Amino acid sequence: MFVYAMRQWWGRYGVTTGISIVVLLGAWSFRQSNGRILYELYSQISRPFEVPEAREKSLIDARTRELSAKLEEQRQENARLRQLIDEAPKNIGEPTFAPIIGRSANHWWQDLVIGRGKADGINRGDVVVAPGGLIGRVSSVSAHASRVLLVSDASSRVGVTVTRSRAAGVMRGVSSTLAVIEFFEKLPDVKPGDAITTSHFSQRFPAGIPIGTVTSVDLSASPAPLVKVELFAPIANLEWVSVHSHVDKPLNPQPKLNSEVEILLEEDE
Amino acid sequence: MRWSKLSRKLTNGSVTLASIVVCLLLSPARFPGMELLGVAPNWLLLWVVAWSINRNFWQAALAGWAVGLLQDGISEPVPTRALSLLIIGILTASLKKKKYVQEDFISVSLIVFAMSVIAETIVALQFCWYAWRPGDGLTFLHFDEVWSYYQDVTLASALLSSLWAPVLYYPLNYWWRHMQLLEANSTS
Repeated sequence: MFVYAMRQWWGRYGVTTGISIVVLLGAWSFRQSNGRILYELYSQISRPFEVPEAREKSLIDARTRELSAKLEEQRQENARLRQLIDEAPKNIGEPTFAPIIGRSANHWWQDLVIGRGKADGINRGDVVVAPGGLIGRVSSVSAHASRVLLVSDASSRVGVTVTRSRAAGVMRGVSSTLAVIEFFEKLPDVKPGDAITTSHFSQRFPAGIPIGTVTSVDLSASPAPLVKVELFAPIANLEWVSVHSHVDKPLNPQPKLNSEVEILLEEDE
Repeated sequence: MRWSKLSRKLTNGSVTLASIVVCLLLSPARFPGMELLGVAPNWLLLWVVAWSINRNFWQAALAGWAVGLLQDGISEPVPTRALSLLIIGILTASLKKKKYVQEDFISVSLIVFAMSVIAETIVALQFCWYAWRPGDGLTFLHFDEVWSYYQDVTLASALLSSLWAPVLYYPLNYWWRHMQLLEANSTS
């Protein structure tokens, strides 16, 4: 009786159930692959609308002149620093220039789509910098496109320091062009106008990349003093970014991209 | 035109799939005039509403869930959009359309406006949940930040989505209705 009922049910709903399972499995595997197929297609379609190569050339030229001027100074400084401390100073990797081809596909998350991928030597975790300073990290890569999670995203955590006073804290995005810093000290030495850069404690970002300026300071906020930062890079108007390869300092397992709270807390103890 | 049943079903399926792919491709794109406060229309929500408006409970729920997973795939996957789009699908399918709303552009736009407000509210509640009880290695917005961002984003997204709703709804609905007519003619 039961078998008959089952067979009847299957005869009636078998195809529908099968289609439903196939649809859900397809959607699930798309989600697990971080939408790679789609971004491949997207990068192919948007190729004709890319900002012309000449822009890339002039950016590279400017970058080269800037670098060669800096290089000599850095060499001298390096030699002196090596004498002072045991650790060799870290350098930011060689840049790959990439056009921005898309924006966040979902407005609660702040990300960018750039038109370069694995084929151009970009890997997950690479640091993304724009004229002005740090903007984020590569969160997923396909062959010719990759997605960048911005520092202004709510799930981003960056270890930062105030350049003037070396006060250290954690910066997190609040889903706009603003970010907030929570300092570890009760009364950090910080005031509006101070410049903020990535910290030496930072595991996921090279030290000393400029990020933004302090716009307001609220020392009475609880549980930690709250400091608002305006990002240097005009993220809404950018057309090209440079991607720098970066290998994380192998300290301990990393639970989440961009999240540095644990490491900084350990350093602070 | 006489079509065999199978080829008609296959064509219908591929047109439906193609419309989802178009919506997915539109999501990261920003065209002039399609942006308000950095927010673009929520194309996948529009698709779910257009699909669910003339469908039964289960079809709408399945489509909402699947499209939500797709949206997770092209953005950060936590918190998931599958929940909000599932609920949107179910709500749209169970609206008493015969009784209260006609199927013209205005009522479709109104439905989309209401649905995007509901969808954003659900996502905001998900963020509040994570603010209250953060998962392992996850760190998110605080309550007050969720609230202030929610206000901006909900209005912009609801306005833009409802304005662009007819662009997606009209051709899709026309196609599906055409297919239903063919189906009815061939069986009778």
